[in-house]
Amino acid sequence: MADQHPKLSTKHLLGIKDLTTEDIQLIFETADNFKDVLNRPIKKVPSLRDITIANIFFENSTRTKLSFELAEKRLSADTISFAASSSSVSKGETLIDTVNNILAMKVDMVVMRHPHAGAGLFLSKHVDAQIVNAGDGAHEHPTQALLDAFSIREKYGDVSGKKVAIIGDILHSRVALSNILCLQKLGAEVMVCGPTTLIPKYIGTLGVKVEHDLLKALNWCDVANMLRIQLERQDIRYFPSLREYTMLYGLNKEILDSLNKEITVMHPGPINRGVEITSDVADSKQSIILDQVENGVAIRMAVLYLLAGHRA
Amino acid sequence: MKKIFLQSATIVHPEFKSKESQDVLIIEGRIAEIGSGLKIPVGAEVIDAKDCFLSVGFCDLNVNFGEPGLETKESMASGCAAALAGGITALALMPNTTPAFHSKSEISYILNKSKGEGVDIYPIGAISEDRKGEQMAELYDMKLAGALAFSDGDHPVKDTGLMSRSLLYAKGIEAKLFAYAEDPGLAGKAPVNEGPMSTTLGLKGNPALAEELMIARDIELAAYHDTAIHFSTISSAKSVQLIREAKAKGIKVTCDVAAHHLVFTEDVLSDFDSYYKVKPPLRTENDRQALMAGLKDGTIDAIVSQHTPHEIEFKNVEFGLAAFGMIGLQTLLPMAIQAGLKPTELVDKLVVNPRKILGVDLPKIALGEQANLVLFDPKASWIFDSSSNRSRSANSPLMGQKLTGKVVWACNKGQSFRSNY
Repeated sequence: MADQHPKLSTKHLLGIKDLTTEDIQLIFETADNFKDVLNRPIKKVPSLRDITIANIFFENSTRTKLSFELAEKRLSADTISFAASSSSVSKGETLIDTVNNILAMKVDMVVMRHPHAGAGLFLSKHVDAQIVNAGDGAHEHPTQALLDAFSIREKYGDVSGKKVAIIGDILHSRVALSNILCLQKLGAEVMVCGPTTLIPKYIGTLGVKVEHDLLKALNWCDVANMLRIQLERQDIRYFPSLREYTMLYGLNKEILDSLNKEITVMHPGPINRGVEITSDVADSKQSIILDQVENGVAIRMAVLYLLAGHRA
Repeated sequence: MKKIFLQSATIVHPEFKSKESQDVLIIEGRIAEIGSGLKIPVGAEVIDAKDCFLSVGFCDLNVNFGEPGLETKESMASGCAAALAGGITALALMPNTTPAFHSKSEISYILNKSKGEGVDIYPIGAISEDRKGEQMAELYDMKLAGALAFSDGDHPVKDTGLMSRSLLYAKGIEAKLFAYAEDPGLAGKAPVNEGPMSTTLGLKGNPALAEELMIARDIELAAYHDTAIHFSTISSAKSVQLIREAKAKGIKVTCDVAAHHLVFTEDVLSDFDSYYKVKPPLRTENDRQALMAGLKDGTIDAIVSQHTPHEIEFKNVEFGLAAFGMIGLQTLLPMAIQAGLKPTELVDKLVVNPRKILGVDLPKIALGEQANLVLFDPKASWIFDSSSNRSRSANSPLMGQKLTGKVVWACNKGQSFRSNY
């Protein structure tokens, strides 16, 4: 790392919306370095030795939480993790109070996942800490989008000019919105594909192509990002059954092999095997699902490191 | 004897023909003299009104106080103080309370509680018990107690059969229904308009279609029963068009629009500011322009504040959890002026038409009459902040801002407001 601590143009990472293309490139270059670190026998650097980070998850998460915790530990930050129930409001404590209680213990950064869109932005206006959004409702999940784009860059050398199809439940997905914004900033073409009821009516205003036929989407794209069906986030039924969803949008080996080219398959996890993607596809050589997970740690290290630049 | 001398005001009233500015003397809440170049009586408080318009006080058809049950949001006293400071001397109180105004008891309670206040309070009785949309409430008994119109407040009447029977029953007892048009199945729990903004915010959208379908339904019901209906706070371009067409066909339909829908669009929501979370949601610029056109051509009869007070805890939370609504009594005039309405239009939409819709007489500006008046300066500015705010709540996105259009003085039933800001 250079002596001068590089930093992002934003103090918080609330969404891809706020990042410049230069920010994203800087995150990728920094993540390249950290990925090298992660492949060394000693996987730890002292970069954030004097920083305390609280991971507050108001919604269930395994992979994102572990990935952040590991990234923080690799950077030598002190960490605390707190799995709050999303019903803490009904118990009477507000989000601001919950977080201020944690900050009173001298915490510098908060990594937060929350079921409500805009929760990270809201918090950033009301508490004195740097906020990293680890997913807010169906709004943004910036580190996921960064690691997805980073994985595409790793596979193809460049994201620019690539055709990426995001397939599945777009309406309830924070991954979709962040991915669209991130990929567009990097010059990729984006298509969303899914059941008509799970595509927001005005998604076209984001400049994406819209497709409802899985095969057409797959034939168009270089990369297919298969989203998880978020049944827990659907307050009402948007399609009759998972079985019917799979009939229309499940990616299996037969479809993959019928394409006239070799596309790359991604998935933000956790996978519903046999629903949006079959096991033989998930485990095939065209899948980079586990690379995404590995890159997640490097990307999150880069983000935390670059945000800490604001403290210098 | 308290004497107020309004010097050189321009009077705007349908029955007052003189364009010349007038001096008006008010003694003990009654109009004692009107004329030009009057002598200032000894001991009178003089208000320089040469840039001001004098009208009958505003009448706001959509207001929420907290009584009964939610007094921490707004009491009768604080609400009336805020209304008078906003130039509002008459208002319709929505039954969005706990319990709702769904029987004679609540109607009588509200009317008793409002005695001595400088605002004429018209409680709107609930159409259904507990506003649940199931069983019709005792409309006639409430009418006898003083309710002039009925509405389930911010609950749409989902059941078409109930709406049909209620319209017919209300016709029989010569009462009017106010409808909040929204199809709950389409609107869902969405906190914002369905549009480009809901897409970028990752929020579920409440489509304008949810409002338009209900307006279309209720217009057909009103036509079928040959009775009147009033739509509260319409918000979309298509709604304006549906009502325009219904009026052209001679269907007895009227409607109002909330002042904030005339000045804001969904674009203000880009950083999840919960102070702009209102119901119906702020819509697009196209809708806003259609609402303005509807006001100008007479499709929209009245402008309302939809004053909805909430404690800070109900707003200073995650957007999805925040309560709907903003306070608006004191910002009704400034917002209507910001929307571009001229003084004569203001008097139509804020003074004359709302009283016609409620079926109450328009007070006169004439010798010997009780002074039910507002004196406003459409060009003067003031700051809306904690010192000028009279409401018990402060949930307004305009808080802290400089506003143009100022109520200088208002008076009704012997109570008066005089601006000191």
